[in-house]
Amino acid sequence: MDTVQQTGLDGLLQKGEVWRGDGVSRARAASRTYSSGRKELDVLLGGGWPAAALTEFFSAAGAGLSLLVPVLAKLSEQERWLAWVNPPYVPYAPELAARGIDTSRVLLLKDLEHKQGLWAAEQALRSGNCAVMLYWPEKIAPAQVRRLQLAAESGDCMAVLFRPLRQRVQSSMAALRLQIEADQEGLLVKVLKQRGSWPGGSLQVPV
Amino acid sequence: MLWLALYFPYLPLEIYSRGQSEESPLAVSKRHGGRDLVDRCNGQAAALGVRSGMTLSSALVLAPELKIRGRDKQREQKALQGLAAWAYQFSSRIAFDPLLLLLEVGGSLRLFGGLPALLEKVEQAAPDLGYRMIHAAAPTPAAAALLARCGGGVVREKSALHEALRQVPLARMTANAAVLELIEHIGLSTIGDCLQLPRPELARRVGPELSLLLDRLLGDAADPRALWQPRACFKEHLLLLSEISHNTALVFPARRLIAALCGFLRGRGGAVQHLEWTLLHRDEQITRFGQGLLQPSRDKEQIVNIFRERIERLKLPGPVLEITLTVKAWQLFRETTGALFVDERSTADPVFLERLRARIGEHAVQGLQPLPDYRPEQSWGYRDLSAAGETVFSREAATGHGNRPLWLMEQPRLLVTRDNRPVYHGRLQLLAYPRRIETGWWDGDDVARDYYLARNASGERLWVYRDRRSGRWYLHGFFD
Repeated sequence: MDTVQQTGLDGLLQKGEVWRGDGVSRARAASRTYSSGRKELDVLLGGGWPAAALTEFFSAAGAGLSLLVPVLAKLSEQERWLAWVNPPYVPYAPELAARGIDTSRVLLLKDLEHKQGLWAAEQALRSGNCAVMLYWPEKIAPAQVRRLQLAAESGDCMAVLFRPLRQRVQSSMAALRLQIEADQEGLLVKVLKQRGSWPGGSLQVPV
Repeated sequence: MLWLALYFPYLPLEIYSRGQSEESPLAVSKRHGGRDLVDRCNGQAAALGVRSGMTLSSALVLAPELKIRGRDKQREQKALQGLAAWAYQFSSRIAFDPLLLLLEVGGSLRLFGGLPALLEKVEQAAPDLGYRMIHAAAPTPAAAALLARCGGGVVREKSALHEALRQVPLARMTANAAVLELIEHIGLSTIGDCLQLPRPELARRVGPELSLLLDRLLGDAADPRALWQPRACFKEHLLLLSEISHNTALVFPARRLIAALCGFLRGRGGAVQHLEWTLLHRDEQITRFGQGLLQPSRDKEQIVNIFRERIERLKLPGPVLEITLTVKAWQLFRETTGALFVDERSTADPVFLERLRARIGEHAVQGLQPLPDYRPEQSWGYRDLSAAGETVFSREAATGHGNRPLWLMEQPRLLVTRDNRPVYHGRLQLLAYPRRIETGWWDGDDVARDYYLARNASGERLWVYRDRRSGRWYLHGFFD
């Protein structure tokens, strides 16, 4: 009896008539990603960072930049800008350079008020002149997140929003939403939302 | 020799109306015999029945909406000078005639690929300036001017001039009252009539003046013209027919001035990096602002777009009456600058940066660079993003100073201490051996600090230091 059921299920799976929620769906696999530089993290994210889509980082203290260093280094080889919109502090140039990021590709758009920040973020995404756009908004409405997601697609630009932890309850069109907590071991990355897959996975990334 | 005449029949009207995006009935008036008469009117006014020579009062009865401005010959002459500066891109020999420019183009035909190609270029460039023009070309300046005033035409050979001018009324040749009276008396109506008569008899009969005019027309007598001397800098005013109170509505008149500027620059092989705008208001103080470009340019659309971004975020004290564009310094245009536009994915794409700079301010858009210094504050700097500031990154040469954070605070923040240990979101645990930085005594900005990697209760990794002189703790960066 068991074997018969097994074969039946296998058959269905092989025919592709059953959607498998535990894995990464075909749609997700087809969309492009950039490797995060860490194998386990790539597995958790279903391939890597979404290449032309929006990712949201939710954390209490704005942590998470260190996760992006490998992809920033890789993308700085392109002839496109790495845009930083309203970064909370100064990205420390010698350390970025030491970690392989070409600092001449860094484009800082700083000290912008809310509306200007949104405008600049969207311009950076849409223009096609930026490989990645990192944005630290004070607050942002779901409709605006959606705009940025669409802009990221049209400009083939990877976008990362750094948001306060408490805003994670807000729904969003972002392709990937992560909760990032600093702890004694390093950073704990939890998947809040992932296209074509279940949320809930988590990973301890040592630093 | 080939002269190109550009005739601007509506110039007296257009100096007032070219800043308007929509046409409204307009007339210019002149004083004649103690009465104010309509000198010229535009199409909208003519459609309402306004005619040249009509008294202003009757014109206003026909068209109550009619805007009337006094004819201003001085402004017209200035406008013509501006047009000459624009036309300098087509010829270096430019002369004036009333409402008309004469360009000697015989020497520049090959450069532009023949007369038809040149005329096409002129026609394409003209509408942006806000003037309508009629053009004509002929071997003599007088003939070119006359043909333009009679509706245009092209005559390449001297021998064809007779035929081309045959039907033109003699009276169109000159504004000289004495000659006009003479023409009326001799009973000849067209130039063709005149030319049929034997020349010596004609000269005896009509006197030297008309005879000289005819000779110049046909190229039988020299026709020396004072040539226009180009100016070193660009300054042009644009008068607005009605006040503009919406910032975005200023883009239209500004485009006129920018088109004139780009023509001016083309004529001199120049490009511009800084423009100065002056807006005149009725009661309020003049508004002045500069418009900077990352790279020298003479691309009209690019400059207009930057102006648009700039003007949109400007707060004007009141409606605008007049706009002035001034460019004091310009530099030689390097054709290589054009090559940067080819790859639109390149970080050298200036248009994208220009837009950002114009909209959010030049200081908000910065690059970043590491600098060779051990002091954290001095080991980085903002980088000028204009082409001149381009640096070459070499991964091999990039060496860190070891265990430094990704984020630096521009100003170190003083930390409170509890039991002699620094506190930031909880007590800090110092993780690694201190790293001492003691340097900079030579420039008066010396530091003596012990830096630590620290972690607080919530797991944040911080870069803190103890100032060795004061013993105080400071927070200077973040690792994640």
